[in-house]
Amino acid sequence: MAKHDLSINPPVMNAAGSLGFSPERRARTDWSKLGAFVTNPISLLPRTPAHGERFASYPGGFLLHTGYPNPGLRQVVRRYAQIWARSRLPVIVHLLGNDAETLSEMTRQLENMEGVMGVEVGVSGEADAETVVSLTRAASGELPVIIRLPMERALELASSAIQAGAMAISMAPPRGSLFVSVGAMAQGRLYGPAVLPIALKTAGDLVKQGVPTIGAGGIYAQEDIKAMLDLGAMAVQVDSWLWRGSGAIDKELVWKP
Amino acid sequence: MGYYTGRVSEIRLEVGGQWEIRILCPGEAIPAPGQYLLASDSTDRTAILGTPIFISEEISQGFWASPLFPVPWGPGTSLDLEGPLGHGFNLPRNTQRLGMVATGEIISRLKPLMTSLADRQTGVTLFTDLKIPRLPEVVEVSPLATLKTALDWPDFLAVDVPLNHLGELRGLLGVGNEARSPCPAQVLITTPMPCSGMARCGACAVNTRKGWRLACEDGPVFELSSLLW
Repeated sequence: MAKHDLSINPPVMNAAGSLGFSPERRARTDWSKLGAFVTNPISLLPRTPAHGERFASYPGGFLLHTGYPNPGLRQVVRRYAQIWARSRLPVIVHLLGNDAETLSEMTRQLENMEGVMGVEVGVSGEADAETVVSLTRAASGELPVIIRLPMERALELASSAIQAGAMAISMAPPRGSLFVSVGAMAQGRLYGPAVLPIALKTAGDLVKQGVPTIGAGGIYAQEDIKAMLDLGAMAVQVDSWLWRGSGAIDKELVWKP
Repeated sequence: MGYYTGRVSEIRLEVGGQWEIRILCPGEAIPAPGQYLLASDSTDRTAILGTPIFISEEISQGFWASPLFPVPWGPGTSLDLEGPLGHGFNLPRNTQRLGMVATGEIISRLKPLMTSLADRQTGVTLFTDLKIPRLPEVVEVSPLATLKTALDWPDFLAVDVPLNHLGELRGLLGVGNEARSPCPAQVLITTPMPCSGMARCGACAVNTRKGWRLACEDGPVFELSSLLW
């Protein structure tokens, strides 16, 4: 693989957090329908699950607040590096970008690792443009870098990331709040078809700005993927669609170039 | 674990408002008590998530299922089934007196344990404040308030409790901060499992003495002694 090569063919992949750490968990899945595999978000040190309400549903979708639990990069690499190396799918490792120094350390550990095609850096909802630039530069090296921006702020931050060296922008689920019981409010990421309109609008606006865009959010049908690509997205990420049951990739994702 | 096709042949409304669904499917697809299948309507492209379904009663050519969430399925609905998933109840073979505790919204996930013991002359008592559906004749029913004083009776406890009510078990069992069960016990933790183990997303995480575990994959039945509650 050439340095900074980021070709995803077919232009469809799972979103970070939707299929675990390696493309082996559900054996029946026809992985040839995906062009890359994106790992769950990984931090340098282990992270435990979030406390409080972690799931709440609403018409058209659901809210999820998990805290991105993971065993830390060292354990993930120990458990999954050989599977990534054997995988026929190129792997994009999603890193939680808390600070530039940590991110740089994590990225260096992944360089020259067989099967790893690139890194995707998850940027928190509070990040400003300066932070985005700092994180992008810290992650940049031998591997192509995708910066995953909060959907609500993607338009504001995308150009900073691209100018700092990101190969593409992907879109994190929007955040929201729901009352789950009297006096109890849950906050978290929003998934489901109800997200699609805002995702299409955001992806279309990013493309108009000339930003290489990986569209994501609310994809629940082949037509949704096509709509995202027709807007000019270079690729599409699918998330909770894959959780609908055994047939989501096999039966419903029929890639036609 | 495997992938199967099933068909809804009948639905019934149990006492307490719990819908149960009769599913015809291959025998290999039938989950053990406490295990679950991930089920989805084969033709419905509008569903947002698959639905975990538990066995409430085994029948010829299938089982009566208790879904974790209400579902819009009716007789004739074709289902994609994935599983059985997770770890179910594992009762000791020498259980003579089984105590069961249902503190959530339904009893049906414990029912297959009752029927499996019905012809073994095992004493079975269900402690619950819920409305009682049809149960095997051998089952005695007592209110939850009596559990604390009856704990010298069972030699094994099977519990169905929502994750966010786990701490209430301490009061029901009359134990203090040490939270040790008076007899061996297994707990079916009911909680949303949005990814059903596909992603290890963490939404169903349970705190155990060995760290965080996932109800979808490591449970949903846990040894009570393994839980931090």
